[in-house]
Amino acid sequence: MKLRIVLYALLAIAAILLPLVAPPIVNNMILRIGSLVMLAISWNLAANAGLISLGHSAFWGLGSYAALLVANKLGWPFFASLVPAMIVGAVSAAAIAVITGRLKGIFFAIAMLALSEGLRVVAVMTPDFTGGGAGVFVDQALRPTTETVAMVTALCAVACAAIAYLISLTPFHYACRAMRNNESASEMLGINPLRFRIAVLSLSGAMASLAGGVNIWYSGFLDPMIGFDLHVTILAQIAPILGGIHTLAGPIIGAFATIGLSEATRTLLGEQGVSLLVYGLILVFSILYMPKGIVGTWNTWVQYRSRGAVGAKVGTTKAAPL
Amino acid sequence: MSSLIKRLGISVVVAGALASTHATAQDTIRIGAPFELSGRFVAYGAQGKRGVEMAVDVYGGKIGNKKIEVLFRDVQSNNQAAVTAFTELTQQEKVDFVIGPIASGIVAASVPAWRQSKPLWIVPGSSSTQLEDAMKGEPLFFHTYPWAYQYHEGTAKALADAMGKGKKVAIVYSDGAYGREQLPWAKEFYTKNGFTVVATELVREGAADLNPVLQKIRLTRPDVLVGIVQTTDAIQLAKQIHVAKLNIPVLVGTAYPQLQEWAQATGEAADGWIGATTYLPGMKRAADPKLAKLFPSLNDWEADFKKRYNREPEFLDVTNYTSAMMLLVAIERAGTTDKEKVAKELATLNIQTMLGTSNFVPTPGGAVHQAFNDMVVFQRDGDKFVVLFPADAADGKLKLKK
Amino acid sequence: MSLFWQCIVDSLLLGGLYSLMSIGLSLGFGVTRIINFAHGEMIMFGAYGAYFASVLLGVDPLLSLPLVSIVVAVTAAVLFKALIEKVLNAPHINQILLLFGLSLALQNVAAILWTGDARSVATPYSLTAYEFDLLLVPHGRIIAFIVAAILIVALFCWLRFSELGRATRAVAENGQAATLMGINVSRMYMLSFGINAALGAATGAISSFLLTITPFMGFHMLVKAFAIVVLGGLGSVAGTIIGAFALAFAETWVSYYVPEGNGWAEGVAFIVLLFVLIIRPKGILGQAVAVH
Repeated sequence: MKLRIVLYALLAIAAILLPLVAPPIVNNMILRIGSLVMLAISWNLAANAGLISLGHSAFWGLGSYAALLVANKLGWPFFASLVPAMIVGAVSAAAIAVITGRLKGIFFAIAMLALSEGLRVVAVMTPDFTGGGAGVFVDQALRPTTETVAMVTALCAVACAAIAYLISLTPFHYACRAMRNNESASEMLGINPLRFRIAVLSLSGAMASLAGGVNIWYSGFLDPMIGFDLHVTILAQIAPILGGIHTLAGPIIGAFATIGLSEATRTLLGEQGVSLLVYGLILVFSILYMPKGIVGTWNTWVQYRSRGAVGAKVGTTKAAPL
Repeated sequence: MSSLIKRLGISVVVAGALASTHATAQDTIRIGAPFELSGRFVAYGAQGKRGVEMAVDVYGGKIGNKKIEVLFRDVQSNNQAAVTAFTELTQQEKVDFVIGPIASGIVAASVPAWRQSKPLWIVPGSSSTQLEDAMKGEPLFFHTYPWAYQYHEGTAKALADAMGKGKKVAIVYSDGAYGREQLPWAKEFYTKNGFTVVATELVREGAADLNPVLQKIRLTRPDVLVGIVQTTDAIQLAKQIHVAKLNIPVLVGTAYPQLQEWAQATGEAADGWIGATTYLPGMKRAADPKLAKLFPSLNDWEADFKKRYNREPEFLDVTNYTSAMMLLVAIERAGTTDKEKVAKELATLNIQTMLGTSNFVPTPGGAVHQAFNDMVVFQRDGDKFVVLFPADAADGKLKLKK
Repeated sequence: MSLFWQCIVDSLLLGGLYSLMSIGLSLGFGVTRIINFAHGEMIMFGAYGAYFASVLLGVDPLLSLPLVSIVVAVTAAVLFKALIEKVLNAPHINQILLLFGLSLALQNVAAILWTGDARSVATPYSLTAYEFDLLLVPHGRIIAFIVAAILIVALFCWLRFSELGRATRAVAENGQAATLMGINVSRMYMLSFGINAALGAATGAISSFLLTITPFMGFHMLVKAFAIVVLGGLGSVAGTIIGAFALAFAETWVSYYVPEGNGWAEGVAFIVLLFVLIIRPKGILGQAVAVH
């Protein structure tokens, strides 16, 4: 077990240092995968507590705009701008947690969707503040090198993964499971659902906003369609589902798989419309035939190998906790 | 389904072939072409790709003994995919020439990626003046599509000449980049030409009902209505204006009134609209005296296009064909693939193209190379186009709508 | 003053369109408890069906509407059998993602088959209007309103008076009890999904002459239909109609009386939705409390 942790730590350090030597296209992938890892972990964290979000782009967009606005209007540099990005994400998530009270399942999901669409309308309609539909470039003079942004992205992704891991060591994750399965039962266990909800969502919101905030420094341009893009919401869900929902490794593996698939379909299928068609179909079939994701399927397979056919059905949910 | 599998098969083979091109890179001229081949803006990207492909084919596929290789990349109408495609083309494939994408938001998202290695970049789209500002003083940036203000400069003047002073104008603009960017220019040029702007009304992109906006405009009794919206919204705008019988004598659009796509969808509501463009279907433009094969007369080119694709060309087909063809001629004339030298040739090309003379000039906004500034103001009259401006090309007078 | 009455007329006409747009989604959810994320694509396919019937065969969208609806409904039923039935008991998120993937695929099938060009049918009645003094009632929109009303009344009658309709309601209220009563639940699921699609396609056929058709027109309408269904109360067909008119009134009123209102109108939908979710999560007429 210890050996494994050392191995993971080495891997993480390698990922953080890789941008120093990697060619630009690899850095581009580090950025995209890294920010998706953060989004996916953030989404999975909320999902663990039974809060299925259909609007994670709300946090992503808020983080992006917060980082961009403090940079362009106040001249804050890269690192400093990430702080307000995280705070905006955490505070707005806490507000949502309070406002939506005890909404669960589909209601919470749709409330998030409404929030994200509503924020997009606000960003479009307040051009003096956000730049509006025309969008804004990040002040070119403040932009750090691509390598720096890539390293920070990798570092943040590793930090998010570490936080998710640490949480899985505490009793917190039992509380999560209780919340997800039965909120009133969890109340009897002495968990305060509202405080718990605020804590989980704030953390989740801060992570997603941080991802948006870091990303804006690489992409360098933001408009409401980019910030509150439904595509971000979808990616935030696809990655954990594809990797294995409610597991530790799932969102990370899922982020790699999602970007890999999306890039493969994009570059290999140049004909008009085909790339997104194939992407959609892959999504449909992976839900149909791999509902437990890569991690779940892998565990099933491993247990099938070790226990023989009899034990196969039992082990499917015994993926890493949380 | 079987054709999909076939396509999949072909794509795998193509990918394999692409992977092996590195060895032969020396003998080919490589041009990066990131376009919106899927997603929201697929209609733009499809036209862009078609135009570039046709240009390479007409040119003969080779410059000297070097094969022309166009690396098309799908940017999926998405900013992240655009950055990845741009980075891959310029940093991995190390192309020195890039043409595309088209939609203004996607072009803007590509700008920071372009800065990394600054290849010669032709943008056959995006009328955004914010792009113009971001690319201020960049000698390797070439823009072959009108800027936002160019739509209104000529139109306002032409209308002032025809209608006289003291007329009232109402402006409808979309909440997206397109409308927001053009609104100040429209106001400026109409005011400058003696019009009074009596209403500026915002419409949401994709709104299900524009009647509230039109009814508010009706109360101001304007003589001119200017609709600054994207084609999809312009269809509904034109239809609802027609239905509402606003009795506005002059209706002005931006990039859409000459589109067949728009006219087909709006039916008789399209009649009488005024637009500004560098290309009108069926317009008379002569072939280039020296390069008649590459830049034939507009009518010959349109016939060739129809034969190849079994449809009428749209504005972006022409723009992308012309832009790509100019690049190929510039590379040939430079006799090298050095981007600075090719840029110098491209900047000084003087060819009679289907979009007018190809001289690149600096813009008031600070961009170094802008081609095709001869905007034509026209009015739809049934299936015909009547040119109103400039005076030397005019073949009719402004007709007021009843 | 003229604006006031015009605002009322516009709201009513828009409300009719919104009702038809969201009622299929509401019924489908009430029975199957699955949010049909591909609902927008049903509308889109209906719109293209009516468009091509008009352009290629010269058939008016109103005449092709029944056939287009049936074709889309049958296709949807097949998709239901092949894909969606398999996730009926899966977690909500899997259902949502499956349908979302389907919607992405269908959008791009349309983009491949028919390009991304914007289209619309220009029928004579889509370009004319009744005028009463200064009050304007566009023919196209009043026809759309009547069609929507007919279809909705037909749906209510079917649900109330026919054997199958009553069975559908039984399944919506309690699937397990319905099974015990000998109702073939999985067939009712397929049927209601098919009706959901048919109503979507009918919305599309009407939109084909009112709005602009593109492969991506569906998402926009889906999000709005969502808002309406939640506003009215998930699973309540009558509530959906109230929700549709409430939203249509709110949007139109904002468009008329707020500066830049047409831009804010879309935001209004979501603000109203958020408030409803907070104050009365069941929606205006929702009975279904325990939605997991």
